[in-house]
Amino acid sequence: MSMDQALQTYIEESHGLLEEMERILLRLESEPQDDETVNAMFRAAHTIKGSAGLFGLDAIVAFTHVVENVLEAVRDGTLAVSGELVELLLQCRDHIGLLITVVAESAAALDAEQSATGEALAARLRAFMGGAPMGDAGMPAVQESPLAASGGGPLEGDYWHLSIAFGHDVLRNGMDPISFIRYLSTIGDIVSLNVDDSALPELDAMDPEACYLTYSLDFKSEADKQTIEDVFEFVRDDCTLRIFPPPSHLATFVDRLEHASGNTDMLGQLLMEAGVLTEHELESALRAQDSMKAAGGDAQPPIGEVLVKEGMVQKEVVDVALEKQRQIRDHKAQEARFVRVSAEKLDELINLVGELVIAGAGASLLARRSGDTALHEANSAVSNLVEEIRDGALKLRMVEIGETFNRFQRVVRDVSKEIGKDIGLEIGGAETELDKTVVEKIGDPLMHLVRNAMDHGIEPAAVRMAAGKPARGSVRLNAYHDSGSIVIEVADDGGGLKKDRILRKAIERGIVGAGQNLSDGEIFNLVFEAGFSTAEQVSNLSGRGVGMDVVKRNIQALRGTVDIDSTEGQGTTVRIRLPLTLAIIDGFLVGVGKSSFVVPLDMVLECVELSEADRRLAATRNYVNLRGEVLPFVRLRDEFEIKAPPGKRENIVVVQYGGQKAGFVVDELLGEFQTVIKPLGSVFRHLKSISGSTILGTGEVALILDVPALLQLGVARDGQRLAHET
Amino acid sequence: MHIGARHEDGTCRLRIDGEFTIYTALQIRDGLLERLAATGGVEVDLGGVTEMDTAGVQLLLATKREGARLGKSVRYVSHSQAVLEVIDLYNMAAQFGDPLLISARP
Amino acid sequence: MAKTIMVVDDSASLRQVVGIALKGAGFEVLEACDGKDALSKITGQKIHLIISDVNMPNMDGISFVKEVKKMANYKFTPVIMLTTESQEAKKQEGQAAGAKAWVVKPFQPAQMLAAVSKLIMP
Repeated sequence: MSMDQALQTYIEESHGLLEEMERILLRLESEPQDDETVNAMFRAAHTIKGSAGLFGLDAIVAFTHVVENVLEAVRDGTLAVSGELVELLLQCRDHIGLLITVVAESAAALDAEQSATGEALAARLRAFMGGAPMGDAGMPAVQESPLAASGGGPLEGDYWHLSIAFGHDVLRNGMDPISFIRYLSTIGDIVSLNVDDSALPELDAMDPEACYLTYSLDFKSEADKQTIEDVFEFVRDDCTLRIFPPPSHLATFVDRLEHASGNTDMLGQLLMEAGVLTEHELESALRAQDSMKAAGGDAQPPIGEVLVKEGMVQKEVVDVALEKQRQIRDHKAQEARFVRVSAEKLDELINLVGELVIAGAGASLLARRSGDTALHEANSAVSNLVEEIRDGALKLRMVEIGETFNRFQRVVRDVSKEIGKDIGLEIGGAETELDKTVVEKIGDPLMHLVRNAMDHGIEPAAVRMAAGKPARGSVRLNAYHDSGSIVIEVADDGGGLKKDRILRKAIERGIVGAGQNLSDGEIFNLVFEAGFSTAEQVSNLSGRGVGMDVVKRNIQALRGTVDIDSTEGQGTTVRIRLPLTLAIIDGFLVGVGKSSFVVPLDMVLECVELSEADRRLAATRNYVNLRGEVLPFVRLRDEFEIKAPPGKRENIVVVQYGGQKAGFVVDELLGEFQTVIKPLGSVFRHLKSISGSTILGTGEVALILDVPALLQLGVARDGQRLAHET
Repeated sequence: MHIGARHEDGTCRLRIDGEFTIYTALQIRDGLLERLAATGGVEVDLGGVTEMDTAGVQLLLATKREGARLGKSVRYVSHSQAVLEVIDLYNMAAQFGDPLLISARP
Repeated sequence: MAKTIMVVDDSASLRQVVGIALKGAGFEVLEACDGKDALSKITGQKIHLIISDVNMPNMDGISFVKEVKKMANYKFTPVIMLTTESQEAKKQEGQAAGAKAWVVKPFQPAQMLAAVSKLIMP
């Protein structure tokens, strides 16, 4: 007998079975058949499939499997016989015949048309099954070659350890442990075997047909845990099997766990995926867990604990798996909380919202003018919603600054090593939010400032000790919101700036005149002047200037300001003030003559009418007495050289910025106004006092005042004059 | 399976021929128990054993222990190929303490 | 003396292929086409392992195993049932009847040999 002869038998047998199948099918429709006849038809398909598998005729297996499923359903009464079904089954029978002829007899494959016919038939069969999933028709996979242990073969003494306690009935069931042990030696080497007969009763008390032995053995093999467990598959439910992997596998398991796919966050599944645990072990551990719960009455013990206790997995491996599980869950939680949206889409949305705000303002204006109360009210409701949408849209782009700050942990560590100073980084206000576009641009200036603080701010340890300060220096990054801006501070606890030296140097370089009277803040801010910096490292302060003018320019480009605060011997704080967003601001609209200006609302403190008396006085000096306080002011009419004569009344808009208060003298107060910033064209870039423009509902253009710049330009000048006068 | 016995100097010499497996374990156990109770010691000739399984090994172990418990000697001799194979597989030669004729193996 | 395995299946070709594989591994093979046939052939033999299909005409595999397990000289003989994925219930039934091992159809000869090797050696 050879395989060829067996194949011949198969072909003959199949044709015979197909004939029988046809006979039964033809009778089936007209007269009900008894169970055995229907079963015979099922069996025919089943047999054809089963033997096809033996010959490796997979095409026959795959198609016949679908037919078999349908016939099984007919046999079990879950699928009713109909003319249509019989017709279909007859066609399938013919197709199987074709498969036998082509695939089995001629060892060829079906042509494309024939394959398509087969697929169409299979699809119709599946439709009869209601699309219910069918069993896997594929051949059970032949055992894959075991994974090669990473890092070469097992070490000396690096063995699997197996402990097997057989149930009393295994021998009676025809399962002899001898066979399993022999089989084991075909997939590895049994290094040592110990048979424990301590459970064996006395000769007269024993049941000679029962098994009392417990085995423990050291096993050297490249096979994986599942393969080893499979040796015992037929006694799996009738023995207690513990498989301890070789010590060298620990590292492999840990490695596999760390690189787990993340498809599952269940501990047991994770361990199975890594090959640490077999399905059977997991099932019995889960049962053990349940029974522990039932016995203890308390909350059920964690599965990890059960696995360790049952000796299925080592504690170290469970710990790694738990950590991995935590990571996967964190990751999932993150994924659940966030939707990834491209920044471009967000920008588009914000632009549209900007247009909406402008259009809404236009509609509001028209509604107000029309005097139609109902329309006006309806428009207010729309305006409120638009405002909410605007805020919501902007929030979408807000991110916490913490991530940017955290990047500096590494920088500080590396730089402190590089320059040999012990410096720690403290972070505050990490949860402070700001516009993503701002965050992206703030990294470089911050890097400059942090490096400067480390290079030149923090003194060498010896100097610090001598000054009674801790040897370890500290750089602090901090962020907070303040009147519509975000403030970012870079502070160090170093030696601080030396005013006199800065001043001397600024005079040397001709940045300031020798006679100028400067406040502390002004002196410190000199370090931001272009040309102040030097490369010479003569003192603490000389290096301070490195790139500081660049930092300032970058920040100004973001409509921000930067200033510096320092106490000699105690440290320096650089304070960056940035708008929360670059796109939209709440503005306060004021009129001067026929021109309109927008003051960022969050800087407006109050509006007061400029009294007759003040107007007279104001003609000669640029400050007023506001409730006993000196309030310097800027006349927008003068500042922007508006020719139209002032109206009957003038008002002062009191603004505050960066701790300074000042007033803007205007004609009209036109109220709050949401506004989208349209950047000025490059032609107007040199304009110091204007930060942008916006379009009013009427279509007119209003200029957005750059309050910090105006304060610097005007108030500082007037303040000096004031100082001289008093 | 057949158990033959002859007595010599107070020791019972048993010879087991044929299958020494779960199918015969009960019968052999009863036979061994009976001889052990009746005599000062047994010597079991395993030369005629054609087949042995775990039930057989287990019975050899239990009998040996029974002898020790009763203070009577239990010796296994002339192990057949089938017996040697199983004892070897189980690495149990030391547990039995009987001299094994290794040369009997091919 | 080589051990004997009885193969019970209504497919002649299956019996032949399994027979070829088992003989190649050093076993003697006895074939039967259904339960009834097997029962008639089994008496007076010394069979070490039975491989039986479940669904067969005349006498199915489960009934056959139940009969075999009643026979004094076969009650401890291991039985491999040939099951299919969809026959979980049949597998349970077979195990209850005393067929503790199984091979899922369709299988390759090597898979059958592996299952046999876990139970007996030639």
